[in-house]
Amino acid sequence: MDKIARIDMGAAGGPKVTVGDLGQYAGLGGRAMTSLMVAAEVHPLAHALGAENKLVISPGMLSGTTGSMTGRLSVGCKSPLTGTIKESNAGGQAAQVLARLGYAAVVLEGKPEGDDLYKIVINKDGIQVIADNSLKLMDNYPLVAKLRQEYGDKVAYMTIGSAGERKLLAASIACTDPELRPTRHCGRGGVGAVMGAKRVKAIIIDDAGMKMRPPKDPEKYRDANRKFVEGLRKHPVTGEGLPAYGTNVLTNVLNEAGGYPTNNFKSGQFAESASLSGETQAALEIQRGGSATHGCHRGCVIQCSGIYNDKDGNYVTKQPEYETVWSHGGHCGISNLDTVARLDYMDDNIGVDTIEMGVTIGVAMDAGLAEFGDDAAAIRLMEEVEKGTPLGRILGSGAAITGKVFGVERVPVVKDQALPAYDPRAIQGIGVTYATTTQGADHTAGYAIATNILKVGGDVDPLKTEGQIELSRNLQIATAAIDSTGMCLFIAFAIMDQPETFQALLDMLGSFNGITMTGDDVVALGKKVLSAERDFNTRAGFNKHHDRLPRFFYNEPIAPHNQTFMMKDEELDEVFNW
Amino acid sequence: MSQNVTELSPIVPEFETLSLLLASDQLSIFFPILQKGVMVPATVGCTLKSLLCDQFAIPADYVSDRITTIFVDNCPVDDLDRTVIQDGSRVTLSAAMPGLVGATMRRGGYYAALRQGISHVLDSGKASNECGIVHLKLFNLLLTELGSLILARGLLLKSEELTALLKNLPELPISTHYGAGRTLLSVTFRE
Repeated sequence: MDKIARIDMGAAGGPKVTVGDLGQYAGLGGRAMTSLMVAAEVHPLAHALGAENKLVISPGMLSGTTGSMTGRLSVGCKSPLTGTIKESNAGGQAAQVLARLGYAAVVLEGKPEGDDLYKIVINKDGIQVIADNSLKLMDNYPLVAKLRQEYGDKVAYMTIGSAGERKLLAASIACTDPELRPTRHCGRGGVGAVMGAKRVKAIIIDDAGMKMRPPKDPEKYRDANRKFVEGLRKHPVTGEGLPAYGTNVLTNVLNEAGGYPTNNFKSGQFAESASLSGETQAALEIQRGGSATHGCHRGCVIQCSGIYNDKDGNYVTKQPEYETVWSHGGHCGISNLDTVARLDYMDDNIGVDTIEMGVTIGVAMDAGLAEFGDDAAAIRLMEEVEKGTPLGRILGSGAAITGKVFGVERVPVVKDQALPAYDPRAIQGIGVTYATTTQGADHTAGYAIATNILKVGGDVDPLKTEGQIELSRNLQIATAAIDSTGMCLFIAFAIMDQPETFQALLDMLGSFNGITMTGDDVVALGKKVLSAERDFNTRAGFNKHHDRLPRFFYNEPIAPHNQTFMMKDEELDEVFNW
Repeated sequence: MSQNVTELSPIVPEFETLSLLLASDQLSIFFPILQKGVMVPATVGCTLKSLLCDQFAIPADYVSDRITTIFVDNCPVDDLDRTVIQDGSRVTLSAAMPGLVGATMRRGGYYAALRQGISHVLDSGKASNECGIVHLKLFNLLLTELGSLILARGLLLKSEELTALLKNLPELPISTHYGAGRTLLSVTFRE
């Protein structure tokens, strides 16, 4: 990856492509590339949907190689949902294909005059930006089907649905999976609205004629990758639990812990949780001829996804993730997996974040727009978003906007981004990350559970209160680093428990670049990324008072533990003191 | 499918006992009730470790290596030797879980601090062995691996639970006189 493409969508005479070298961004990928570039080049007070914002698309450092699990693609910009810096990443094929074409980043800049809609074709011969108004207001599944007629099946597609075109704040960017379904989404923060604001409907990435990226030390890289894969396969989470049940295996456990937010965070347990569990979902998928084990990109050995069919064996959607099953399920009092699957399909098709939309529908239910547990009403509300009605535009702009419009007090957001599926009153430590992350409430911002082996910040006594602050800090540092490699975050389980698997990861990074890498290098990278993100947010007007949970978490105890969120503000303010 | 229905001498005298012998591929029929939770007769007033290893006969290394996430009464457990099981305790067993929260719930895990406030408080009282009932749940990989062991030991089912379960065994010559009160259901599987 030795070049960066900049596409000025607002250039005089039409979009203009410039390809240059890496300059100050040499050696970066993934979140490190997107965040450092946005922090350096986007005015922090820019309107997120204006010409000053940039949409940075970057494969991970190891994407496009023969390495396993290297297929994450990062998208960064100033978020229209949160007003903060944003990095949102997804699996699918796009990262691998873009990396093989040699692009460390593709940057959409400016904003075109007029109403034309564009598609961008990237291949070995260069980049073309083509006006194509026949794609207007198409949703992702029919859009990809139409594009496949022209560009075939040996490419990767990045697209926005009608939500992105309408610049809804929950809009996502879809990346196609190996079967060319638009199922993998850069979901969080409204990145799809930024792409829509730049009038880019689709990016077609064709790596025909290109080879895998060659490592500097091929033999060592091959050996390290083999050990890395062995480590993933022998670990009970990455080798057994995730392939068998997917992430939704967490439903039963979170419910048992009393940390499963139910009916818009009114309870920590859902009586019908077993109907939504990963165990139930996997059995149903297999019974209907789908699959409970499927990879989101080629080269994945964990295979935590699946195929969800209807009762007649017809494809409905990919296996909904835990957060999706929660947001459209227990959060809304809904216990029917078929309803959840249909809503997941609608999210993917319209192009919206499943967490934001599910939480929003729960807030709308609290507002009286529907009853909790009303499956049909939840689908009707999603249809409003699909049609782009005034109500649909409100809902599609997320939980914070919806709560304000309908006067709801219990709105589970931080920096206007909806909380994911873990109640911070039961699991206080995750509340620390929700409150303080640079991204708005985001469970994946502190997800890389490898801080013990990375020795980020030294050893922590897990039984002391102050450990929660330090653990959250360390987790956020480690995650920022992993997000930059292009590695799936789920590798963290194996590297946490198996030092030899962590060493294999370091060896992959080192041998690819012909250097020796240590855990300290990984930590330094994570700190660099977080510092840049914090600096951007400060310049955008954010301060410590934004690093708080909504007041109801402090005032309303939740069953069964009858706890409130008890972390003190002064403790939260210590998270980024390093 | 091979199924036998036999009346056995009751393990717990006040309960009628139903014993089934099923083909091994029918184990999954019981997964829904095992993940929702079943009542299991047990000697209570003992430590959690004793319940699992001595009464359920689960090998100690399996308990330590495989059952990495345990809840008692919704509280994640860290120390099996200092957790006393009472009559009516709700015990939930799970294999290792993904995600930060999965790691957080792990027994004695590095991230246990993140769940401070809901962790099971260690019991310091003396154990006293008495007859009682434990509400047991099995999740994920343990459904397959421990399901047959728990079923062979016997579950107490309410009449409506038993009726619903037997409906999933269509070739079973159902005798509906198991309608009154609770029945101890014991299931063994052919290899």
